[in-house]
Amino acid sequence: MVETLNSLLLGFSVALQPQILMYAFIGCLIGTLVGMLPGVGPLAGISMLLPATFGLNPIIAIVLLSGVYYGAMYGGSTTSILIRLPGEAASVMTCVDGYAMTQQGRAGPALAIAAIGSFVAGTLGVLGLMLLAPTLATFALRFGPPEYTALLLMGLLVLAYMTGGSIPKTLAMAGFGLLLGMIGIDAMSGYTRFSFEVIELADGIGIVPVAVGLFGISEILMTASQQTLKLPKNPSMRELMPSRAELKQSIGPIARGSAVGFLIGIIPGSAHIISSFISYGIERRISKTPERFGHGAIEGVAGPESANNAAATGAFIPMMALGIPTSPVTAVMIAAIMVHGIAPGPMLIAQQPELFWGFVASMYVGNVVLLILNLPLVGLFVSLLRIPYAYLYPCILAFCILGCYSVSNSVVDVWIMLAMGGIGYTLRKFGFDLAPVALGLVLAPMLELSLRQSLAMSAGNYAIFIERPIAVTMLGVGLLMLLVSLKPLLFKSKQKDWRSTVGLDEPS
Amino acid sequence: MAALLASVCVAQAQEAFPTRAITLIVPFPPGGVAEITGRPTAMAIEKILKQPMALVNRPGAGGAVGNAAVANAKPDGYTLLMALSSISVIPAADELFNRKPAYSIDQFAPIALISADPTILVSHPSLPVRNLKELVSLARAKQGQMSFSSSGIYGALHMPMEMFLHHYKLKMRHVPTTGGGPALTTLLGGHVEMTTGGPAAITTHVKSGKLRAHVSWGAKRHENYPDVPTFKEQGADIEYYIWTGLMAPRGTPEPVMKVLRDATRRAVEDTDFKTAMARVNSPVNYMDAPEFAKYWDADAKRLAAVVKVVGKVDDKK
Amino acid sequence: MTQPSDPPAKRQLRSDQVSGLMLAALALYVWWMNRAYPIGTLAEPGPGYVPLLLAIFMGVMGVLVALGGGKSEPLAAMEWTEAKRAFALLVACGVAAFALERLGYRITMAALLIFFLGVMERRKPMMVAAVGIGFALITYYLFATLLRVPLPVSPWGF
Repeated sequence: MVETLNSLLLGFSVALQPQILMYAFIGCLIGTLVGMLPGVGPLAGISMLLPATFGLNPIIAIVLLSGVYYGAMYGGSTTSILIRLPGEAASVMTCVDGYAMTQQGRAGPALAIAAIGSFVAGTLGVLGLMLLAPTLATFALRFGPPEYTALLLMGLLVLAYMTGGSIPKTLAMAGFGLLLGMIGIDAMSGYTRFSFEVIELADGIGIVPVAVGLFGISEILMTASQQTLKLPKNPSMRELMPSRAELKQSIGPIARGSAVGFLIGIIPGSAHIISSFISYGIERRISKTPERFGHGAIEGVAGPESANNAAATGAFIPMMALGIPTSPVTAVMIAAIMVHGIAPGPMLIAQQPELFWGFVASMYVGNVVLLILNLPLVGLFVSLLRIPYAYLYPCILAFCILGCYSVSNSVVDVWIMLAMGGIGYTLRKFGFDLAPVALGLVLAPMLELSLRQSLAMSAGNYAIFIERPIAVTMLGVGLLMLLVSLKPLLFKSKQKDWRSTVGLDEPS
Repeated sequence: MAALLASVCVAQAQEAFPTRAITLIVPFPPGGVAEITGRPTAMAIEKILKQPMALVNRPGAGGAVGNAAVANAKPDGYTLLMALSSISVIPAADELFNRKPAYSIDQFAPIALISADPTILVSHPSLPVRNLKELVSLARAKQGQMSFSSSGIYGALHMPMEMFLHHYKLKMRHVPTTGGGPALTTLLGGHVEMTTGGPAAITTHVKSGKLRAHVSWGAKRHENYPDVPTFKEQGADIEYYIWTGLMAPRGTPEPVMKVLRDATRRAVEDTDFKTAMARVNSPVNYMDAPEFAKYWDADAKRLAAVVKVVGKVDDKK
Repeated sequence: MTQPSDPPAKRQLRSDQVSGLMLAALALYVWWMNRAYPIGTLAEPGPGYVPLLLAIFMGVMGVLVALGGGKSEPLAAMEWTEAKRAFALLVACGVAAFALERLGYRITMAALLIFFLGVMERRKPMMVAAVGIGFALITYYLFATLLRVPLPVSPWGF
């Protein structure tokens, strides 16, 4: 413990050097701005900056890039809350209640709680990283294909709690999303599926154009006849901050979101996207008033936002401790330090203590920077909404086209976004919830691949899911959740009237 | 007059290549061999051509997606491919499956070979084998029960394993992933018994004892792994390299190709490039277009033969 | 989501019945397309296995939505007041997407914004021109010049 403190002191002595502090600030700023642009998420942000870091020293490079990374994770939530436009996949869930809060004139508290939640989650995440990195890293490696399958199945079961709508409708939308995820080349056999001879579709449909289309574009289409957004006039600084009651309501979601996000974040693979979905599901499930979710519940912002930031921190654990690129983002960061001749891995902490501890300390610093950068900006962001809607929506549309195009420099993504906008609009008119589509799309390819990988490992024996303790535990929890969620379906006669008038799941 | 103007414009446009950013497509997820070589190459070329060279990852199906994207790109020299050796395998596999091929080999014009590294067979330390001989006898005793991970079906890390398995008449289960990084992660977690990897990718893990290196596919021992024997030494006539090469779509105008070839020749001499490659333990193995074309041709024939021998993976078992 | 229940009309098509059947039809289409891919076995699923399961799942859910939709809003009662404008917005964006790589980013974006502001919103011409052209140039500078995203350029070089 004393040793850790000493090391941390060493780290802070590195991280608080004015030059490094400045780069942490620049990184957070760029990240926040980049994350706010639709389509340009953390990965695109750090990939763009990567070449610029080659000339810097490795500590600065990693501090700058990690600043961009969590800055972008946070920035994505701003547009989700203000204009229902997820800047990146992890903030899809924030759209639901965050935007509902904006419509009720509470954009300020929503933004503030997102910033506070991100800060707390980020700080808890760094604490976890610091104290548990080596232990957790070994644990993370035990996540092979069967565990991954179980985790993703559990994520799928969260669907039942995700929306307040009718269960068949929710599940139909999940099916639709999962089917969308089937488009593209099958990694196991090499078959190209449902690509309609469009070569870009062989790569599958990206979550970004789909999320932007389903949420952002469809919202603009829904409000096409409206002249202005209904907004509060000149909110005072007091109204911009969450009330004491709202803060109190958010403590639980932030704590749980941090824990869930952190644990999912350390698992190799791209599963950290689902951390915000799972957090939302948990909050709705345990809430005493689940009917508020989807209509501006602050817990629905606090939980997922904390979860995605904690996951961002958690993802650094296998990267730093093992040197394994567990997700595209960490792979780019590994490339960033490898070009300096430094190999991340088990020997990093011993060989390069000032790099490792400087990095850890800079993450504390970065989180503080993000908070002081973003809280004062809440007022500025909110006043963006005062731009007349007639000017605002054309610019949003133009930004959507620009953002989706720049993800992979392909017009096909723009077409996907527009098609999804039209589909999302139609589905919303018919009363379908769209969040399950996004979750389905994210889950489908990972779930299918890990399931078939597991079967390849076991030569087709499904017992592999039962023989492995982590997998079987997660499947058990998932099954339990499924049974609990089925309860209202099986015994619905009593609540039928209540359910059909409010259109919601029963609170347990 | 207008025609004259237009022709002047065209001439200028050709002379001025490149006038805008060049996209270098890496057909794998970040962190793989192609990217580790591609980044310093792109940076060195960028300095010479005075135009940005953006590296774009287009992963999928063992590289087929990115390869096809370049094969069908406009042949103007602005879309290039950081190809891995698996580029020759995919069309052969398509032929085997009787599929509409994603692209064909003759859709590319080679610019230069950048590096060629043999792969090295690595196993998880929990596997009680110290050398190739022990490994083979264990695998023979447990026919069809051991498993290996790869970068994807018919991918760069799948072919050498199949060569090895075929030569020793072994059967193992294949767990394809979406790239070299995930394949390595799967092995590090002990979810499969072995995989192959480029020397650059596996170095830290072998040094820290997380993986055991057994044998190399090279013709001679790798300079960074003097203790690791080759298959040839062990009496098995198999050889395989993961090479990375720059390619353009076929039909790229000759003057543009010349600019790119000259730039690449100068790029591999660049000190920054050399240090970058040395840092990631990836020796440069430069070959200019004509020589590279010959090398590639021989390699493609060898791999196509392996694909035929391997057959349809889906049909086996 | 749920609508105040209207007096039950006979043989009136309900919104949920239409949407449910549409989803079921989509599922059928997916199933039909999926025949091209080998299904494999439970122990060794082929490329067609999971899509088949999902198509069945979505089809069943679609039918359930339709069956349970007897009390939903009648199709005829749905309001589509904004549909015309929404459609116009989508078409305009589609034209822009088509033009993006042909006319270049700056021309396309300026034209798109001028269309939205000038034709659809009928704002003052000066503001329309300023916002349209300003947006196109500033974002181009930000993305293409600073962030080095290769945005398309028109055949005339700008």
